[in-house]
Amino acid sequence: MHNKRANSIQNGHLASMKYTTFNQKNNDPLLEPMFFGNPVNVARYDQQKHNIFEKLIEKQISFFWRPEEVDVSKDRVDFQKLSESEKHIFISNLKYQTLLDSIQGRSPNIAFLPIISIPELETWTETWSFFETIHSRSYTHILRNLFGDPSSIFSDIVENEQIKKRAADISKYYDDLIFYTQLWQTLGEGTHTINGEEHVVTMRTLKIKLFLCMNSVNALEAIRFYVSFACTFAFAERELMEGNSKIIRLISRDENLHLTSTQHILNLWAKGKDDPEMAEIALEFKDQARDIFLDAVAQEKEWAEYLFQNGSMIGLNKDILCQYVEFIANHRMSAIGLGQPFDIKNNPLPWMNNYLNSDNVQVAPQESEISSYLVGQIDSEVGSNDFDEFEL
Amino acid sequence: MCKKVTVVEHNSDTPSEQTISFAHNNLLDCLLTNNIPKEYHCKEGFCGACRTELIAGDVEYLLDPLAYIDDGEILACCCKPVGDIKIKA
Repeated sequence: MHNKRANSIQNGHLASMKYTTFNQKNNDPLLEPMFFGNPVNVARYDQQKHNIFEKLIEKQISFFWRPEEVDVSKDRVDFQKLSESEKHIFISNLKYQTLLDSIQGRSPNIAFLPIISIPELETWTETWSFFETIHSRSYTHILRNLFGDPSSIFSDIVENEQIKKRAADISKYYDDLIFYTQLWQTLGEGTHTINGEEHVVTMRTLKIKLFLCMNSVNALEAIRFYVSFACTFAFAERELMEGNSKIIRLISRDENLHLTSTQHILNLWAKGKDDPEMAEIALEFKDQARDIFLDAVAQEKEWAEYLFQNGSMIGLNKDILCQYVEFIANHRMSAIGLGQPFDIKNNPLPWMNNYLNSDNVQVAPQESEISSYLVGQIDSEVGSNDFDEFEL
Repeated sequence: MCKKVTVVEHNSDTPSEQTISFAHNNLLDCLLTNNIPKEYHCKEGFCGACRTELIAGDVEYLLDPLAYIDDGEILACCCKPVGDIKIKA
């Protein structure tokens, strides 16, 4: 171990792998790939290699919201009226979403920031993760309202087998990329033995791990939230738990934007518009990418089964929810060139779209008040006749 | 002069076509009011749920679409036809 490290230093590898918080090399960020080029130095947004990320940052910031703005007090009364099986559905979904956003609130930062090379993608990643932390805070807001002390709900997230199974599958791609990035940063490329286990670190393997991780994140943003979204909106269709529904609408709007970003990253690679080696990897590992997506689909269906194990809820059952997962998966998979593997053609839950649109004016009739409003809209147009009524 | 939107449907082996007139705010509205099913979520061009294949003609965007669109694809929620167009259902 020690020798290898010494070798790396001798070969000058170590210096080039080590992350620097301000890269002093005067590089042109417009020529950097999205990942694994030079570390970012100046956070500048006047020019972008991929301007889509700058636009996504602007859009995401315009969506800013705080959980406390949504009144969830009526939900407490509604919750008492739910049947035991419905309570199981509601709480289990909140636990699962808490898990998802716990992971997403930190992982893009930890996994991607050390290897990102362009400022607009760096800031997009930070903005994206920050919004996931708002989502996490909103679950505490919802649960505190329902239970006073939500500790037992939170501790079940690290004990419940169904949740843990999903956590392991989601975090493994992140963890693998993070670990290999750490090896590369400290030891450079080469074969490294850590705790008796051999790890071959090459730029190619790092990029493959990045590709698989991005596909896993994309599948997460694309479908993993949708079973719980459907349940939430099915309650709202019955005018139940509407405060919660309003929060989930805001979350789903954010998640749609996050999904757009991972679709852009995957397509920029696949179409050869960024790092040419990533285009090769996208082609070579297409089957693995498809498997990652299909695994997520299978797990979401299992989750639907777990939710409804004690009984269904009005307006939803396991089968229709599984069909919805397939329907959404078709759309999401075709967006990244993975085809439409499922037979389903029509949306089995058409009313979902009333909740998923971010239209500022048209609000679902079930809503008790409009959740979206304009912030900081200032009319800066001044015409010559605007002061006509003034007299000095 | 009303612009025409021809929607091609590929059910089984025989493609069927129907032509509707465009007199709407955007292509999505036009399809939905004519009872042509079209998936949508955000209606603001950032989610990509209304991604549609453009077979012939041109569209213009009413806002800057943020969602990923492939070559030959359009976002129905935030575009309108420039002339007559043909799309896949």
